Amino acid sequence: MSEPAPVCNEFVLIVEDDLDLRESIAEVLEDNEYRPVGAANGKEAFERLRGKPERPSVILLDIMMPVMDGRQFRAIQREDPELGTIPVVVMTAHVDHEARRSLGADAFLEKPVHIDTLLAIVAQFCRKPQPSA
Amino acid sequence: VSEPTPVPALLTTSEAFAFLTEVRDYAIYMIDPDGRILTWNEGAHAIKGYTAEQIIGESFTRFFTDEDRTQGKPTRLLARGAAEGRIQDEGWRVRKDGSHFWADVVLTAVYDRGTLRGFVKVTRDLTVRKQAEEQLRQSEENMRLLVESVKDYAIFMLDPEGRISSWNSGAERIKGYLAAEVIGRHFSLFYPPELLATQHPEHELEIAIREGRYEEEGWRLRKNGERFWAHVVITAVLDPQTGTLRGFAKVTRDLTERRRIEEQARRERQRAEETQSALEQRDEFIGLVAHELRTPLAALVLKVQGITRTIEEAGRQGHGVAPKLESRLQGAVQQTERIAELVERILDVARIVQGKLAMGLAPTSLLERTTRVVDRFRDPASRTGTELRLRAAGDPVGEWDPVRIEQAIATLIANAIKYGSGHPVQITVEDTDTGGRLLVTDHGIGIAPEDVERIFLRFGRAVPVRHYGGLGLGLYVARSIVEAHGGAIHVSSHPNEGTTFMIELPKHPRPAASDRGAPEEHPP
Repeated sequence: MSEPAPVCNEFVLIVEDDLDLRESIAEVLEDNEYRPVGAANGKEAFERLRGKPERPSVILLDIMMPVMDGRQFRAIQREDPELGTIPVVVMTAHVDHEARRSLGADAFLEKPVHIDTLLAIVAQFCRKPQPSA
Repeated sequence: VSEPTPVPALLTTSEAFAFLTEVRDYAIYMIDPDGRILTWNEGAHAIKGYTAEQIIGESFTRFFTDEDRTQGKPTRLLARGAAEGRIQDEGWRVRKDGSHFWADVVLTAVYDRGTLRGFVKVTRDLTVRKQAEEQLRQSEENMRLLVESVKDYAIFMLDPEGRISSWNSGAERIKGYLAAEVIGRHFSLFYPPELLATQHPEHELEIAIREGRYEEEGWRLRKNGERFWAHVVITAVLDPQTGTLRGFAKVTRDLTERRRIEEQARRERQRAEETQSALEQRDEFIGLVAHELRTPLAALVLKVQGITRTIEEAGRQGHGVAPKLESRLQGAVQQTERIAELVERILDVARIVQGKLAMGLAPTSLLERTTRVVDRFRDPASRTGTELRLRAAGDPVGEWDPVRIEQAIATLIANAIKYGSGHPVQITVEDTDTGGRLLVTDHGIGIAPEDVERIFLRFGRAVPVRHYGGLGLGLYVARSIVEAHGGAIHVSSHPNEGTTFMIELPKHPRPAASDRGAPEEHPP
């Protein structure tokens, strides 16, 4: 079974129910030449992903969300042949070892998110845009 | 009227007299009108001790006590006997040996053709019965005295209608009435109006009659109108022979003081519960507020960080804003970060208080975590001129929560920088046999002995707020983290010499400490 290889572009999907936080993260990423797209929960995230030609190089995923939370999203996404290989960074305050294992995230971004950490982690999964100088 | 049965002439008079002489249970003898003894029988011998030979011809006055003789009782009896024909007397008499016996005497005058010939005296010895009666009387007297002298209990009798028929000193003391004031009055006198309205006193007697006994606690009235809390037992008293109701025995205790103490204790308990509940509500509220603040704060922090970066970037490209503006923005970043940090600590406290501080245990190097924290603090430390010196004596690794351990270490190092007056701070990591040890030593203001106990308490800062900011939550959280790992945190300090904090962590936390709570995304 050949899985689609991870892509490396500027497209970042932010799955976070708080609009202000989602926008703040998006602004920081935009300022740094990424193309962030927001989703308020897991269900919206799938709507942004399914049937679209382009896949994000990384998904920033909140855990506690209405409609479909981060765990449910992750459980479905991991099993999805199209979307399963997209790296996921879980944004959380503090998770224990078990939670880390069960979520199977590629990285954790500790809340409150610091700009340097955010940019460093996203850069791990995306082609670092060349400074436009 | 039936025909008198003819007495068969079986006995002659002298034969009959001879039989009387043989009677042993009664002293039967004759005396002449002056009291001299004429005849004597076996019973008289047995009861009084004299033989016929010793006593016949003597005066009967010798059977009387000295006191009775002095008062002329023998002569009086003879006079009454002569006058009334037959008299009865009970009293002490004297035996030959001088001992006394209780005599029941019947004296019958004997007349012959109108002339007094003497008296027949029949005497029974009732000493035993008299003694039994005396014992009973004494016992009843003792009982009465006992009841009367009891002061702690009101003990009194009611007649079948509920009227008071006896009264003791306890009743006097508790209810305030003298015996003369209440004897004959109905016992409803002691009941407050609301109980009278429901016929409660009558109801109590009904139950006592039906069940033999009635018991309750309730309000009663003293003579002065004051209420007292009474424990009451009413017992129906039945005639032992006939089973008819003779009345009621009522025993009342004054429990006003006990009730007051119990009430007070109950109120204090309730107040304590309310206080506890208020504290829990406060903690819950603080937790909720912190949780609600967190997300918008995260957004704010990112925004100001983003703006600062953009401006810095623009500055590097030659079209920056005024330097004054840039440093003000830098300040805004720091302040928002401080608020975010405070909110995190408050959330930690809320979790600790509610027992929800989850530990994510993983193999963790104490030295690695300490090094990370020290590196993070080098810049802020250098701004206060503080040098951080890290010394490693081994690299202890244990099952610890790396993030929480870093948080505890950061608290100690931040404290050392804050209170270290710019002197170097020594940080030491040691490998003990059973786990890891971290020492953080500063040479600053130190902690006064009376404050050492307080610094690990919630809001338990040792210095006045105006000197140093913060809520004083750091050490409380640090201690909770260390203890959740089964470890301990110690402090030794001398004012104006400095302070050493020591954390000791066992390699494997106790099972209870490794309890993995719910992921902390949940609201506290």
